[in-house]
Amino acid sequence: MTAYKFLRAGRIAPFSGFEWPVGSWVEAETRVACGAGIHACRVADLPFWLLDELWEIELGDEITQGAHKVVAKRGRLVRRVDAWDAEVSTEFAAACVDRVRRLTEGRPEAEGHLADVVAWAPHASAAAVASLAARAWEAAEGGDGYDTERTAQSAWLAGRLGLHPAGA
Amino acid sequence: MASELSCRELVELVTEYVEGTLPGDELERFEQHLVYCGPCATHVEQMRETIRVTGSLREADLDAAVADGLLEAFRGWRDGRS
Repeated sequence: MTAYKFLRAGRIAPFSGFEWPVGSWVEAETRVACGAGIHACRVADLPFWLLDELWEIELGDEITQGAHKVVAKRGRLVRRVDAWDAEVSTEFAAACVDRVRRLTEGRPEAEGHLADVVAWAPHASAAAVASLAARAWEAAEGGDGYDTERTAQSAWLAGRLGLHPAGA
Repeated sequence: MASELSCRELVELVTEYVEGTLPGDELERFEQHLVYCGPCATHVEQMRETIRVTGSLREADLDAAVADGLLEAFRGWRDGRS
């Protein structure tokens, strides 16, 4: 299975600090969803894990499906998705703000959410803006609104970055 | 449906996180929060660093006055005095 993986600059895993090699298989000793294992994203999962670098990763052996990730016993980085950079990250955050703006048009009761997102966007990471936008949608539309915004975010990323529907 | 942790919820779970005992679904929500919340990520790093530093202390490393103060504080906590 081909999937995606966000890493910090220098191919550093955000939680373990592991420096990923390119092209070599990395084995995990156990494969418990969200425990030890090789963690990666389907396209729909991408907005939840936005970091500095996006990589395409090949996963091997059995794969466990988590709510917002997949976990495999082994994986190897195949190539970096160069299209994901600081500029596109800013574009992505702006698109999130625009969707909240459209959501709140003609709805004075929801304008506070727009104000929050607009105020935070210049100072926050793309991941933070994405979360704020999804919560604004949830506050306005209920739980379905959260999912609607997260789906829109993953669709934006897939289109802008030219991703194939890995793991979909 | 949203299932994001609040910062307050994360702080309540941080001990289990650094000890590696959070169940899978909570661990996923915990780490998702760390991706977008810089202050909480810093808090977790500080906890890890504190554990790393204090984990290397031996009883003999403690100054006697500090040891007495800690013992008094713990006794007070148990007795509801602090």
